Amino acid sequence: MTLDGSSEPLRAAVRAWLAQHVPSGWRGAMTGTDQECFVQAQREWFSKLVEAGYATPHWPAGWPGGGRSLGEQKIIFEEVARADAPRLILFFVALYHAACTLIEWGTAEQKAAYLPRILKGEIWCQGFSEPNAGSDLASVRTRAERRGDRYVVNGQKIWSTMAQYADRCLLLTRTGKSDPPQGGLTYLLLDMRTKGVTVRPISQITRDDEFAEIFFDDAEVPIQDRVGEEGEGWAVAQSTLSSERGLTLVEMSQRMRYALPRIGAALRDRGCFDDAALRLEVGRLTAKVNAACALADRYLLRRISGEEVLGDASVVKLCYSRTLRDFVSLGLRIGGLESQYDRGFMRGAPHETGNWIVDFMNSYNWSIAGGSDEIQRNIIAERLLRMPREPRTWQVPAERS
Amino acid sequence: MSAEPSELRDSARKVLAGQGVPAGEAATWPLVVELGWLLVAVPEELGGLGEGLAAACALYRELGASLAAAPYLPAMLAVEAVCHAAPGERHYWVELLTTGGFAGAPLAEAVLSATPHGAGKTKLTGLASAVPSADKAGHIVVWTSDDDCVALVPLDRSGVAVERRPTWDATRRLFDVRLGDVELDDSFVLARGAAAQALRRRLSTHRDFALAADSVGGAAALLDRTVEYLLTRRQFGRPLAMFQALKHRCADLKVLTEAAEALLLDGLARLGEAGGAVAAERLGQQAKSFATMAYSKVAEEALQLHGGIGMTSEHSCHLFLKRALLNVQLGRSNDRCDLDVAAGTLGEDI
Repeated sequence: MTLDGSSEPLRAAVRAWLAQHVPSGWRGAMTGTDQECFVQAQREWFSKLVEAGYATPHWPAGWPGGGRSLGEQKIIFEEVARADAPRLILFFVALYHAACTLIEWGTAEQKAAYLPRILKGEIWCQGFSEPNAGSDLASVRTRAERRGDRYVVNGQKIWSTMAQYADRCLLLTRTGKSDPPQGGLTYLLLDMRTKGVTVRPISQITRDDEFAEIFFDDAEVPIQDRVGEEGEGWAVAQSTLSSERGLTLVEMSQRMRYALPRIGAALRDRGCFDDAALRLEVGRLTAKVNAACALADRYLLRRISGEEVLGDASVVKLCYSRTLRDFVSLGLRIGGLESQYDRGFMRGAPHETGNWIVDFMNSYNWSIAGGSDEIQRNIIAERLLRMPREPRTWQVPAERS
Repeated sequence: MSAEPSELRDSARKVLAGQGVPAGEAATWPLVVELGWLLVAVPEELGGLGEGLAAACALYRELGASLAAAPYLPAMLAVEAVCHAAPGERHYWVELLTTGGFAGAPLAEAVLSATPHGAGKTKLTGLASAVPSADKAGHIVVWTSDDDCVALVPLDRSGVAVERRPTWDATRRLFDVRLGDVELDDSFVLARGAAAQALRRRLSTHRDFALAADSVGGAAALLDRTVEYLLTRRQFGRPLAMFQALKHRCADLKVLTEAAEALLLDGLARLGEAGGAVAAERLGQQAKSFATMAYSKVAEEALQLHGGIGMTSEHSCHLFLKRALLNVQLGRSNDRCDLDVAAGTLGEDI
C-alpha cells in the first residue's frame, strides 16, 4: 500500500537501483562462510547503499539521501525486502540506534564528531542488556563513576550484536541509586578500544557468534561523550530503542511474505506437493503472514498520521514473532529428517532461508530480543487493554529465607 | 490510507448503541432499511451510494459487534445480484429490494441444478440451506452448483418449501429452502455461463468479507467485555485482570483480533488492485477463514475467562460463542478456503 501517487517515482527508482546493485548470489556466498568474509561483504553492501543515499534516508536533509519522510523510508524498506537484498546487520546499530539517538539528544559537537564517522563505516554496538538486566532493563548495574572530566566504568554487558567488530558502544550505565530504578541511569558513548574493555563473543546454538559479552574494568569515558544529562539515561535509551520506528518489522514481515514460495519449494523437494494436510497448513500460514504484513503496514501508517498509541508496536512485534515461529515450524515439518542434517548456516539472511532447523533456531531472536514475547504481552495487556500491573514487591517466603 | 469509512462506522455505532446486545431483528431490520444501509454498495447510476464493499463491511462489523439479528447480509447479496439483472429490470429490483422488499440468499453453498424447460423457462431443483429470515423473504438469490446460472427465485412458487432450522445461535434464524422442479421465467435468471460464474465469484467474495467483518466486530466487542469483566471480578483480594496468566491470554487474543482486522481491511483495500476475480476471491476466503477462526478462539477463551457466569444463559458470553461457531460454518468451509489460498501461494491460480 502506498501513501499517495507521488511516492511512485521513488519506488521505481529504488527498485531499479536494487535490481542493478544487490549482489547476485549473496545467499550462496554467505552460506558456510566465516565471519571475516561476512564482515567484508557487509562493508561492500553498506558502501553501495551510502553512495546511493539509501542508507540514511532517515537522517536530516543535508546528509546523503537524508530528509526523507517516514512514508518514503517505508518504501525503501519495502523495496529492500522485495529485492531480497542482504540485511545490513553489521551497520544497523550505527545507522539507526546511534544516529537517531545523537540526532535527538546529541550536542552539536557530538553530532559533528560521530555522524560522519558512521557514514564512513564505523561499526557501533549497543551495551544495554546485562546478565541480570534483560527484560527488566531498568535494573542495569554497570557502574559509571564520575572522576573529574571522565567516567570510570565497571561491569558487564551481554547480547551485544557484533560487539567484537564494533568501534564504539552505546552504553547504558548506573551513576546513582534511584527508586524507581529508571532514574540514576546515564548514557555514554564508549570507544571500544579503550583500555579495560574486553569483548568475548558468545557461541550461539546455531554456531554463529552474532552476540558478545563486553566487560569493563576501570574503562574511562570522557565526559563530553555523555549523551543527555547525568541521570537522564533512561529517556535517552528510549530514543535508541524506538529509533527504527516500525520500519524493520515492515521489512521483516514483507520478507516473510516473499519467502512463502520457499514453502512450496520444500513441498516439491520432499515429494509432498499434493499432501492435503500440509496444504491446509500452507493456506493458514499464508493468511497469518499476510495478516502480519497488514498489521506492520497499518502500524507504520498510524505512526505517520500520528494515531499510534502506546502498545501498538507490541501487537506488531508479537504477531510477527509468533508468525515467524509458525513459518519456520511448518518448514521444519515439511523438511522432515532432511532438515535435521547439518548444512551449515547462512550469514546476514532473514529468517526464512529454507535451512529450516537453523531458521527455527534463529526465530528465537525475534521472540526473545528487543523485548521478549512475554514483555510484549505485558505491554499489550497493561497499555492497550488497561489491565493493572501485578504488585511489584516480592518477599522471600519465610520458611526458605 | 484506510479502507474503512470511519464516518459510516461511527454513525452505525451510535445508532446500534441504542439497540442493546443482542440487537433484535424486529428493531434492527427497519433501521437498516430506513438508514439506507442497503444502498451503500449499490452503484450510483442505480441510485446507490457507490461506496463499495468496504463501506458495507464497516456496517457488517458494527452489526456483528451488536450481535444484530437483521438479515442484512443476505439482503445485501440479493441487492448485489440484482444490480446485474437485465438492464431493463435492474432499477425495478434495486428499488424494490432497498426499500423494504426483502430478498434473501443462502449463506451456505447451495446444492442446486438448473435445466432448460421449454422456451424461455428454466427449472431449478435442489437445496439452498442457511437462508436467514426466509419466512420474511419474497425472493432468494441462488446459484447452481456448476456456477452456470444465478437466479432470483420467488418463494411463492409451487415446488418451493421453506423450513425453519433452529440453530444454537439465537441471534439469527436460518431456513432450508427446497426447490423441487421450480419453474422460472428466464426474466428471473440474472446470469448464465461465464457471466454467472463471474457473478457467483462476486457474491461469494462479498459473503466471505461480510462474515469476516461480522467476526472481527464480534471478536473485538467480546474481548472488550471480557477485559471489563476481569477488571471487575475480584478473587484472592485483587482484580482477576491483575493476574499475569490471564493478562497474557488476553494479550494474545488482542493480537489475534487486531491481525484479523488488519487482514480484513488490507484485503478490502487490495480488492481493486487484485489481478482478476480469482485473486479477489482468495482475498475474501483468506479474510473469512482467519477472522472466523479468530472470533471462535476469542469466544472460546472468553467463556473460560468468565468462569461460571459465562455458562449462564443470562450472560451474553454464550451468544457471542454461538454466533462465532456458526460463522465458521457459513460460507465455504475454512478448510476449503485454506486449500484455495494455498493453491494461490503454490502458484496454481490462473
